[in-house]
Amino acid sequence: MKNIFFSIILLATLAVSCNQSSNKNDNEQANDSTAIAKTQDLSAIQNDTVKAVASKDTPSQEVEKHTAKEQAQNFIITPIVKDYLALKNAFVADNDKAASSAGKQLISTLSKVDMKTIPANKHKQYMDIAEDAKENAEHIGDNAGKIDHQREHFAILSKDVSDLITLFGTTEKLYQDFCPMFNDGKGTIWISEAKAIKNPYYGNKMLTCGSLKKEL
Amino acid sequence: MKKVLKIILATLLFIFIAIQFYQPALNVNKGQVYQTDFAKVYFVPTNVQRILQNACYDCHSNNTKDKWYANIQPMALLMKRHIDDGKAQLNFSEFGSLGSRRQISKVKGMANQIKDDEMPLASYKIMHSNAKLSKKQKKLIVDWMNKTADSLSTIN
Repeated sequence: MKNIFFSIILLATLAVSCNQSSNKNDNEQANDSTAIAKTQDLSAIQNDTVKAVASKDTPSQEVEKHTAKEQAQNFIITPIVKDYLALKNAFVADNDKAASSAGKQLISTLSKVDMKTIPANKHKQYMDIAEDAKENAEHIGDNAGKIDHQREHFAILSKDVSDLITLFGTTEKLYQDFCPMFNDGKGTIWISEAKAIKNPYYGNKMLTCGSLKKEL
Repeated sequence: MKKVLKIILATLLFIFIAIQFYQPALNVNKGQVYQTDFAKVYFVPTNVQRILQNACYDCHSNNTKDKWYANIQPMALLMKRHIDDGKAQLNFSEFGSLGSRRQISKVKGMANQIKDDEMPLASYKIMHSNAKLSKKQKKLIVDWMNKTADSLSTIN
């Protein structure tokens, strides 16, 4: 009995001292991380100079950039639409895993968008839509195995993509379709590249249910 | 044999005591009123707000109504993780700082999560009987959320 009592006291003191030493470790770690931060800063500066040099020594590229800037007035949403359509087709095929990876692809495409190519007067609207689209795509990406949940976010995402198309226009022929059943019978839209109805909201169960709302 | 048992028990006790020294800050505000709070941004009927407070705000706001085990490890750590995750997805205290489009999406998302019985979490409901929503309660808040999302969508 005596032994147990002593060992508990010993353990308790050990616990206290361990805690103190772990605090010390924390401090050391903090120092380490500031050191890392500093080196990161340095490398960032280096990157910047590299960029500056790169942009300096190619005047022809700068000319290209200028023309690109003029074209920027019509920023092209094709890559975003392309990823959206891949996502849509995954849902048509009832494939939650393909939807998940298409969702992740869409996130990376959205993150790669160069804001400089978007006309200033549309910046705010674009950011608003893109942030929402990204969040919905994240939910789709993270929820393989829960296709119903993915489809709920796909419905909101479809509205985002539709608004993007209204905002920036499209070079390819697209169709806005309407599913009257989804969203508790209130209906919801989706965008398709084909005229024939292939409903992504219920997949195989109701593949040809829905109607063409308008051509874009 | 008895000795081995004693050693095991002592070790467990030791671990239990040792982890008590890790005490991260609790998710509690000190009477601060958030102008961006959901209830300030929208007109939320009292019966809806009461359900949100009881069933959602613990993990989805800057103020958790802590239980007695909030300071005891490993429960505290588990709770902290849940609250951090919850707030990253949806924070009622800072709802007003989101853009209008995202607010609409969040409201729709909430309605869907409740309707699909994904939220409140089953593990949370074990300890919080208030969060066990009846069919009627669910319908009340889901209908209100859908109505709110729809009216916001037509404005924008």
